[in-house]
Amino acid sequence: MTEAPPIHIDALTLAYGTHRVLDGLTLSVPAGSITALLGGNGAGKSTTLAALLGFAKAQSGTIAVCGVDPGRQPDLARKRIAYLPENVALYEHLTAVENADYLLALSGERQSKAAITDALAAAGLQDRAWDQRLGGFSKGMRQKVAIAVALLRQVPVLLLDEPTSGLDPRATADFNALVSAVRDRGTAVLMVTHDLLSAADVADSIAFLEGGRVAEAVPASGPDRFDIRALHARFQVGADRLAA
Amino acid sequence: MSLLAHELRLLLRHRLTVAALALLAVLTIAALAAGMAETSRQHAAIAAIPAAQAEDIAAVADYVDQSKDAGSAAYYSFHPTWDAPAPLAFAALGMRDVSPYMLRVRALGLEAQIYDGDTFNPELALPGRFDFAFVLVFLAPLFVIALFHDLVSSEREAGRQRTLDALPNGGKALWRRRTALRFALVWATLALPFTAAALIEGVALPTLLIVLDLIAAYLFFWVGIAALVGRLQWSSVANAATLAATWLVLVLVVPTLANVAINRAIPVDQGAEIALAQREAVNGAWEIPREQTMRRFYASHPQWADSPPLGTEFHYKWYLAFHQNGDASVAGRVQAYRAGLEARDAAGRALGWLLPSVGVQALLTRLAQTDLTAQLAYQDRVRAFHAQLRDFYYAYLFRDRPFGKADFARAPRFKDTPDG
Repeated sequence: MTEAPPIHIDALTLAYGTHRVLDGLTLSVPAGSITALLGGNGAGKSTTLAALLGFAKAQSGTIAVCGVDPGRQPDLARKRIAYLPENVALYEHLTAVENADYLLALSGERQSKAAITDALAAAGLQDRAWDQRLGGFSKGMRQKVAIAVALLRQVPVLLLDEPTSGLDPRATADFNALVSAVRDRGTAVLMVTHDLLSAADVADSIAFLEGGRVAEAVPASGPDRFDIRALHARFQVGADRLAA
Repeated sequence: MSLLAHELRLLLRHRLTVAALALLAVLTIAALAAGMAETSRQHAAIAAIPAAQAEDIAAVADYVDQSKDAGSAAYYSFHPTWDAPAPLAFAALGMRDVSPYMLRVRALGLEAQIYDGDTFNPELALPGRFDFAFVLVFLAPLFVIALFHDLVSSEREAGRQRTLDALPNGGKALWRRRTALRFALVWATLALPFTAAALIEGVALPTLLIVLDLIAAYLFFWVGIAALVGRLQWSSVANAATLAATWLVLVLVVPTLANVAINRAIPVDQGAEIALAQREAVNGAWEIPREQTMRRFYASHPQWADSPPLGTEFHYKWYLAFHQNGDASVAGRVQAYRAGLEARDAAGRALGWLLPSVGVQALLTRLAQTDLTAQLAYQDRVRAFHAQLRDFYYAYLFRDRPFGKADFARAPRFKDTPDG
């Protein structure tokens, strides 16, 4: 018997008032894989994340995080999710270790300082930054702190919202390597992005949202690998980096 | 480390929060110290009464003993009364700064002696005392506003709210915990110094507990207002401005307008006007035939009507009789004045059910026995004592009994409380 994927969405419909944002969305992210969710503005990418986090309730269809419906049991679903927003804003008055400690405490998963520093090291944060307050941290450094928290929480699902926007190529490469490492631990990663090239670098599959449903889902590697320029031409995503 | 400890560390890393709490602590301690200094000064003044009184009476007694004249004894001897501050008075000085807490009375007309004290400078009385009640009612809400106006909005503006909401225990539980922590800090900043002061001053435990509850209830009201404004999802600046305006309206504008409205709806004479009327009645009595004065006096005091008739010379019983007639002539105004004050006070207390700032002040001054009720109770004790004084001296005057040095020791003595 095949185990259900940690992220499973089937025929999901979700509307804000009369505006239907998700219209029969079907999407699965298996354990130990990265799915990049691309699409234009208003395609429903952020709403998909909101539905997975239990912030928005679907009108019909099914949505499950490790078998838990986040619309009905949001706290239970969130115990299985680590979420990184586009701008990882942590507490500037706390150090990296203290931020991680606090977020872990809020999640109900306390860890020793040694475990936290190990996770920060695994996330690629240099040791001299561990006890520094976050006031001067770059976005990449903040993401590393947040990823360290995700690593320590050992959650089966990682949701990323535009993680590479604003990162330079080196930081993007570092981040993608980090996410790949998280994937290799067996985590199901759903990455919402506009960045087709970054998605191509790191994702196992790419789903394109259009009108609130997946218009096309393609593997990112192997014989059926997508033609990046054809996808760009069709969906007009990642135009900035393609042009470069 | 517990979640509360985490939240405390986070909160105390904000310099403004620490500064606000420190400032509130300083203001609270300063207000308590000022209140304690004032009540201590009043206690000291009251404690000095017996020695000063003994000195005064000794001087009068030497003089009176030569003539044995009870009238001279009544005229020249002052008798102290006092209203010792209740243990909680340090926290809410109330009317004790504008109404006399010591009054030396003679057996002459009483009303002028009582209402002479009403001629205080209203401009000095306007701002009130800097006491704990002032800090709690007027200033504490500002600190609640400072700590609560951006409770949620600051997280939203910093871009952290989504991250926090996405955590398993990061939603309502987080905001409840943060609210409880801030509430506890503000409450403790007020309550701990107050408790220490109350213990030093010997405040009874039930009273202490009531005040601690009152502090919590008042802060809770302002936290509730801040939470309501916070639900509007405005910016931190808009929240702060809205809450500051609410504070201005609820603490300053509406109570002031209500006070004006109450005063206009319930017109009351000035106490000084009663004193003036009584003095005019007394001064006018010099022109009234003495027999007429005595008839009026005996009509209301028949127990002295068998006193020997007046001769042609001055007699103090006539002088004291027209003083008492002077009191009687303003008795109606005194009753009306008192009724008016009580009606205003009742209206103010009724307003306290609608306006927490007024209600808290009213309850604190009641508990501290520094309100109008306490002031009127003191007046009642003074009146009762003065009646005893009159009876004491009249027994000599109207029976033409000589009054010697030893008789001063038989004079009634004021008892601080009705029970003595």
